Amino acid sequence: MNFLAPAAFAFAAAIPIVIVFYLLKRKRVIKLISSTLLWQRFLAETQANAPFQRLRHNWLLILQILLLLLAVFALSRPYFTGTAKSSRLRVLILDASASMQATDEKPSRFEKARTEALKWVDSLKDEDQMVVLVAAANTEVKQSATSDKGALRRAIESCRATDSPTRLREAFQLAETLVKNQAERDNPEIHLFSDGAIPNLGEFENKNLPLIYHRIGERANNLGIASLDVRANPDNQAQRAIFTSIVNPSTNQQSADIELRFGNDIVETKTVVVPGTNTFPMAFVASQPRDGIFTVRLTGNDDLAADNQASIVSILPRPVKALLVTRGNRILEKAIRPVPNVELTVVSVLTDDAPGYDVVILDDVTPVVWPKGNVFAIHVIATNLFTEVSKVDMPAIVDWKNTHPLLRFVSFDNVFINESLAVKPPTWGVSLVDSTQTPLLIAGEIDRKRVVWLGFDTLQSRWPYFISFPIFIQNVMEWLNPASGSASQLTIKAGEPFRLSLAEAVGSAQITTPDGAVKNLSLEKNTRELVFGDTTKQGIYKLHAGTNDLSFCVNLMDAAESDIRPREELPIGKFGAGIAATRLQRANMELWRWIALAGLAVLLFEWWYYHRRTA
Amino acid sequence: MSLLTPELLRRLEQFQLLAARRAKSSAKGERRSRARGQSVEFADYRNYVAGDDLRYLDWNLFGRLEKLFLKLYEEERELPVRIFLDCSESMNFGVPRKFDFARQVAAAIGYVALCGFDRVSIVPFPNEGENVTTAGALRAVRGRKSSLQFFQDITRLTCGGGANFNEALRRGALEARQAGVAIVLTDFLDPTGYDKGLNALVGRGFQVNAVQILSPDELAPGTYGDLKLVDSETGTIQEVTFGKYRMNAYQQTVQNFIQKLREFCSSRGISFFSVNSATKLEDLLLKQLRASEVWA
Repeated sequence: MNFLAPAAFAFAAAIPIVIVFYLLKRKRVIKLISSTLLWQRFLAETQANAPFQRLRHNWLLILQILLLLLAVFALSRPYFTGTAKSSRLRVLILDASASMQATDEKPSRFEKARTEALKWVDSLKDEDQMVVLVAAANTEVKQSATSDKGALRRAIESCRATDSPTRLREAFQLAETLVKNQAERDNPEIHLFSDGAIPNLGEFENKNLPLIYHRIGERANNLGIASLDVRANPDNQAQRAIFTSIVNPSTNQQSADIELRFGNDIVETKTVVVPGTNTFPMAFVASQPRDGIFTVRLTGNDDLAADNQASIVSILPRPVKALLVTRGNRILEKAIRPVPNVELTVVSVLTDDAPGYDVVILDDVTPVVWPKGNVFAIHVIATNLFTEVSKVDMPAIVDWKNTHPLLRFVSFDNVFINESLAVKPPTWGVSLVDSTQTPLLIAGEIDRKRVVWLGFDTLQSRWPYFISFPIFIQNVMEWLNPASGSASQLTIKAGEPFRLSLAEAVGSAQITTPDGAVKNLSLEKNTRELVFGDTTKQGIYKLHAGTNDLSFCVNLMDAAESDIRPREELPIGKFGAGIAATRLQRANMELWRWIALAGLAVLLFEWWYYHRRTA
Repeated sequence: MSLLTPELLRRLEQFQLLAARRAKSSAKGERRSRARGQSVEFADYRNYVAGDDLRYLDWNLFGRLEKLFLKLYEEERELPVRIFLDCSESMNFGVPRKFDFARQVAAAIGYVALCGFDRVSIVPFPNEGENVTTAGALRAVRGRKSSLQFFQDITRLTCGGGANFNEALRRGALEARQAGVAIVLTDFLDPTGYDKGLNALVGRGFQVNAVQILSPDELAPGTYGDLKLVDSETGTIQEVTFGKYRMNAYQQTVQNFIQKLREFCSSRGISFFSVNSATKLEDLLLKQLRASEVWA
């Protein structure tokens, strides 16, 4: 036997109260009177000497009937269908991203969303079903379709907010599949409990998802760290420059103290004033005696704490051994030589896999064996890179991604190219410079080695005559530096998996999370790569695997997530219209609790009335 | 305590008790009786027989008929008035006290009777304790000049103890040498009933006037709640839960009781009055009793 509302047994606590009422002895007042004769006659006349008497007007009787009616009414468990349509399947999506930790709703947006979701569970009719999804960086199915309110409640109560950005795509895809499988007449619904800080969901436009958006959140009182980077100080290579930017999504100017730590030591503290809806860049310069972690922390008091801290692993630059394989390119060589910490060797032919070199630059030379280190390939056709290669004359550059570290301060204005290889965008990298016919610059990783591929011979273009060329070469050398590669590997975004290549296989590893919990990972034999996925909390994680002891940083650093303004509508409605936040009441609100309360009130009133009348 | 105000006494002096029956007393008084005797009221003629007082011969008739007839006059006799006064504990209740009211009524009726040169006896019941001597003094008082002593004696009466109404009236009826007017002043709240006593009085030939005196609290109780009522005379305990909502039912009970009593009395030719001890004495004496021709 199951009970839909086992909590109702708590009402049994009222039984002793009633008993106490009856335990109260009726104290009779003793009164001396002239004669009891009249009273005896009175009692004889009023007391029943027949089993039935004429029904008289008696308020107590009416009250008791009312009480009985209320009890019967409550037992019939009536409910209001409310303004919501009845639905046989509801897909609940709880946004568990970092912005849901904002405390403008008490105790937090996520708790508010949880409470709202639980109300919908309460209003579930016996034959209706519900699915619970939690969407953070990844989507988790907390409860598959069921009518079991207890299971649904447990599922919702087990949800936790994370420090990761919102990725609703997966959740919507899943919900769409679930909803599509339902018959139209069952009115399936998707209920999203979110603040609306959601990146573009273009692919769901015009799909007419039966989405109901429950907006959570009130204001946007927040300052957040949107980016953090560390590199050698351009003015003094012995020092490190730490670049960060602070975002203020609210319309008011806000100020806070920002402190920089190296390890546990405070390096510097500054006060920052950020105008409304602006991003404010900041730079610190610090000397770094050893490899370590720089942490930037905002010490203001805002609604969202998750974005007030960011850390980055900084590894001191080491001399890089670079090998330039060229048939003769003085401009390229001249551009590489001034790059700090580079020991350049120039050869014309490469016959082996270039052991001992960290970076290999292939200038229009196809190697017999692909080098082991990171590779900058210029005008090289290699079968491990592309399946199909053709040529194109005079490709016109139409776009380049100057947000990528490789193209920082690099411009392709007025760059003309005589001839280039034409390839299709590969799976191992992203295209950074595009022409109308083909990608011209591709950066990516193959077998955990970084590869930069340039489609044209630099000598067949005007590029070497522009200032952007040596800057690009400097960027390439820095990006291909294994130290910067490993440093960037050690700083990830919340929710992304942490990967680490191991020199030798280890059986197990321990990871200490920022809150001090120790997680043991067991690795399969011969596994040379360690993957850790539970990175939902931002902070510094410590890893111990075999002889490796290192720290890695998990940061939110997402301007969209720091922008905690609650959105009135989601931009995925039909024909460009938004889906507005709903004021929909939950359906099927059960009334029996209120009826029971009313019954209790009637009972107490009856008791009071009886005593008042006889008093 | 002054039983009656001088103003009331003056008003009462104008009244005379009406007796439906001829007085049967042997003592001379001011009431017409069946007995023939000496008075100014002509009653009948009878034939002269030797030895009759010649003063009463009707000489005018002798002149016309030449026969001797003797004129007979009505003898005026006194009217015995017996006032049965309930002195039981139950009369000790009420505001104003029922007993005080009953004594005032007794004094007023007694004064009217004394002024009418009738013989007044007050029979208190139960007759015990101090009341015994007082009751002796209140037996057969006559004449207006005795009224002061009469009032003093009434004031001395106290109430207490339990009464046996029927027994008291039956004994009172038997003790009376001649029947006359009987006034019964009581609350009629005797557990043994009232019919036997009243029947005994009626059967003895009394012209009975019954006055029921109830206190305001008995007509409309002002105490509510869960009560344990103790009978002052018998000590009987009655538990009752009473509230305003039962007031109507209670008053109906009282009215039923009074109505039953009234019907009993009217079927036996008894004049019945039911009064509240809080009513004005003048209202009872000058209006009710007069309207029902107890006196005129």
